[in-house]
Amino acid sequence: MRAMTAPGATPEALPAAAPGPARPGPPAPPPQPTRMLLPTTVIGSWSVPDWLERAKTGVHHGSVSRSQLADMHDMAVKAALKDQEVAGIDIVSDGELRRDNDVDYLLARVPGVEVRDAVKAFYFDYLHLHLPRPIPEPGPGPLGLVPDLEFTLAHTDRPVRFSMTGPFSLSRRLRCGGSAAYSERADLVRALARVLNAEARALAGAGAQLLQIDEPLLAGHPEDVGLAVEAVNIVTADVPVTWALHVCYGNRYARPLWEGHYDFLFPAVLDAAVDQLLLEFARKGDEDLQLIERHRWDRVLGVGVLDVKTADVEAIDVIEKRIERALQVVPADRILVTPDCGLRHVPADAARAKLRAMTSAAAAVRDRIQKENP
Amino acid sequence: VQVEIRPASRLRGKNAVDLTAALAPVFGALSTESDDGPVTDLSRLRVVADWVQYRNNFRTPVELRPVVGGGAPELALDLRGLSGAEPDAVSTAVAAALHAHRGGGASARHLTLEEWAPIRSSLIWAFNSLYWQHLQLWEEATGQGYESALPGGQSDARHLEPVRETIGRLFAIWDSLAERRALPEELYVVELGVGNGNQASTWLDTFVEMDRAHGREYYRRLHYLMCDYSPHVLELARATVGDHAEHVSSFVLDAMRPLTSLAFLKFKVFFVYISNVYDNLPTDEIATIGQREHLVEARAHLPEPEAAAIAADLGIERPALAALVQKLLRLGPALLAEAMPQHFPDVPAAVQFWRACWQALKLQERYVPLHGLDTYEIAPGINGELLRPLLSTGGDVRMHVSNGAATSFAETLPLLHPYGTLQCHDIVVTDPHQFRSGFRGPGKYDGSVVNWVNGPLLAHIGARKGFDVSFAPFRRNGSNIITMTADVRD
Repeated sequence: MRAMTAPGATPEALPAAAPGPARPGPPAPPPQPTRMLLPTTVIGSWSVPDWLERAKTGVHHGSVSRSQLADMHDMAVKAALKDQEVAGIDIVSDGELRRDNDVDYLLARVPGVEVRDAVKAFYFDYLHLHLPRPIPEPGPGPLGLVPDLEFTLAHTDRPVRFSMTGPFSLSRRLRCGGSAAYSERADLVRALARVLNAEARALAGAGAQLLQIDEPLLAGHPEDVGLAVEAVNIVTADVPVTWALHVCYGNRYARPLWEGHYDFLFPAVLDAAVDQLLLEFARKGDEDLQLIERHRWDRVLGVGVLDVKTADVEAIDVIEKRIERALQVVPADRILVTPDCGLRHVPADAARAKLRAMTSAAAAVRDRIQKENP
Repeated sequence: VQVEIRPASRLRGKNAVDLTAALAPVFGALSTESDDGPVTDLSRLRVVADWVQYRNNFRTPVELRPVVGGGAPELALDLRGLSGAEPDAVSTAVAAALHAHRGGGASARHLTLEEWAPIRSSLIWAFNSLYWQHLQLWEEATGQGYESALPGGQSDARHLEPVRETIGRLFAIWDSLAERRALPEELYVVELGVGNGNQASTWLDTFVEMDRAHGREYYRRLHYLMCDYSPHVLELARATVGDHAEHVSSFVLDAMRPLTSLAFLKFKVFFVYISNVYDNLPTDEIATIGQREHLVEARAHLPEPEAAAIAADLGIERPALAALVQKLLRLGPALLAEAMPQHFPDVPAAVQFWRACWQALKLQERYVPLHGLDTYEIAPGINGELLRPLLSTGGDVRMHVSNGAATSFAETLPLLHPYGTLQCHDIVVTDPHQFRSGFRGPGKYDGSVVNWVNGPLLAHIGARKGFDVSFAPFRRNGSNIITMTADVRD
């Protein structure tokens, strides 16, 4: 069963805008959905300034307090939202700036997970996380992400994409205490999925309209795609939001972790209960678009048109051509225009310029479509 | 007086330095009142003693290094140089250094060849480039190949066991990728700094042998890229690997800019091998003195009487010698001989001039306070903040920044496939404390410059780019060579 999609006449690629500020003050009336073809969005993470990197690392070495860092995070998130708005992004994110990396922020909060050594030499390193016993059945909002979402909703009037690393990728960073925890890794993946489902319900209750599952490590384990999809469906079950799934070739340290093709995703991903599938095409080239056509993906496709592993800014006409090639396999009302992956490793100036190029290209293609179909 | 004796390991044992004998004339000179007043404020003087391991180097046994802005100067001593010296000569050298310092700088008897600059910008690196560009002429003049100047008289890259291990590991990765239909058609291996090609030849011969036994025909898909700064070296190497010509390409390449030629291989190379390259790339030095970071600046000079002797040989005035050195560095020996036949009747004469200058060349040093580590660039896109953990290990320390190695390393890592590995054989400092306990360069190896590589800094750079960097002693007994390996982390 598919998750519930955003209502109304909005093109499928664009969810309804988020309800107004969740804090402080009373909720504002929900903005009207934008009727727009080829909406632009980000995948999630935003460029991390050098000063924030130093502060995040400083927390581990005692030179910055946690409350100081929390203030910095608030300011950085507001700035990231503003940067995206100024660049003309239609669906924005909090930039995942509170998160040290794609795993720790979530996985360390999973009930039962123990942190072996909480001090890191560099903030971006992964923590050593250990699970001595099976994960208990989760209560409401077990990861505590609702305040992050509420803060984001309160500081933008644009639709918000809120991402969570998926259960399969989270499981790859967790050491289990032998059979005392899980004898089968698949059971661990399912248990993590139930935790994420409980969190998603809390996020939906707090006003989330668009939730995204990221599986950055799946490409390195293509043989497990069936399990990953099964877990995705556990996460999305009965959570009434627009659901997105992002699968890339990895972006840790701005490096791919896999150099293959998306053929491993199909046909399994057709069974994923998601509304949007966001893939990278810019760096690898878009020959995998034929997989979308061949397997008749019938929902929204997020087309990665910006290479996030280089600070070089793409020319607008190059991005236009990438969008147009995607239009040959997916109709315009089912396309989202996105970077390949998060912009964490791209310097801020380049990230802003890349997004501006992307929104300009999307606007140009949109105009052409509308002129040809008045 | 603050006294720092760095070569602690040389104070004991059979060949221990006689510290008392070495330092007595130094402190004798410091205690002597000069005719024109006290030589310096002894309470603000730092005396730092090294033991310079390179027989040919850029230091004189006694130097006084000022600190720009009026900080306490440093009297730098080379215990090796002092050990055999006459006490009176040492006293005289100390007094002269202090006198020159009070007079505002270098001894007027030096022929200064350049302005003060960070060490990586010194013309010693122009000499270094000259060596690699005109290696053939140098070898003809010395009558020996450059490999004979390496420790042990040979490149450290030809030992079979590590080669077999590397290839075995590659086969395992490739088998695994092949099973998942993710093995690229082209399998790339890159070697930076190919020497005479023996390493490549050994590697490829071993690869063929192991591939036959393995039975997957990986050799058919293999592309071995040999890269070197010296066209002459590359030409020799190409001849050495003639049996594998169809699988080998060669590139004249600046090791600090591998992407200029190899960008098309980004994320595609399974193995990068680098041997005895990083120690030969430009480097600055940074020192923490009294909890403040300083950049070491240097200027090259030809001391007397060497400058006078070289000038006399050429029949020119001493002041004209500096311009002639610049011309040599700009043109190289062959063109210099062509341009100035009145001084150099043939190319060997120009090479002789080159070798004499190189032999005599010394560096004068000073310390310049840094106003924030982040204002200092280690390599493009990498600022000095990355040095902070290394400099903050307690007390004063002076270390190499290994800018060239850092630049090369940072620009080589993007070449690596997600399952790729970089392996480097070189002289590497593996713990910042080693900078406190021994001299790590620069020295002269034949016609080139050598410095130990700052391994912990490269490890930090690697970590920031997603690589675990490990160090292990090379397997040859008595070798200083370290095997540094960078593997994709996580």
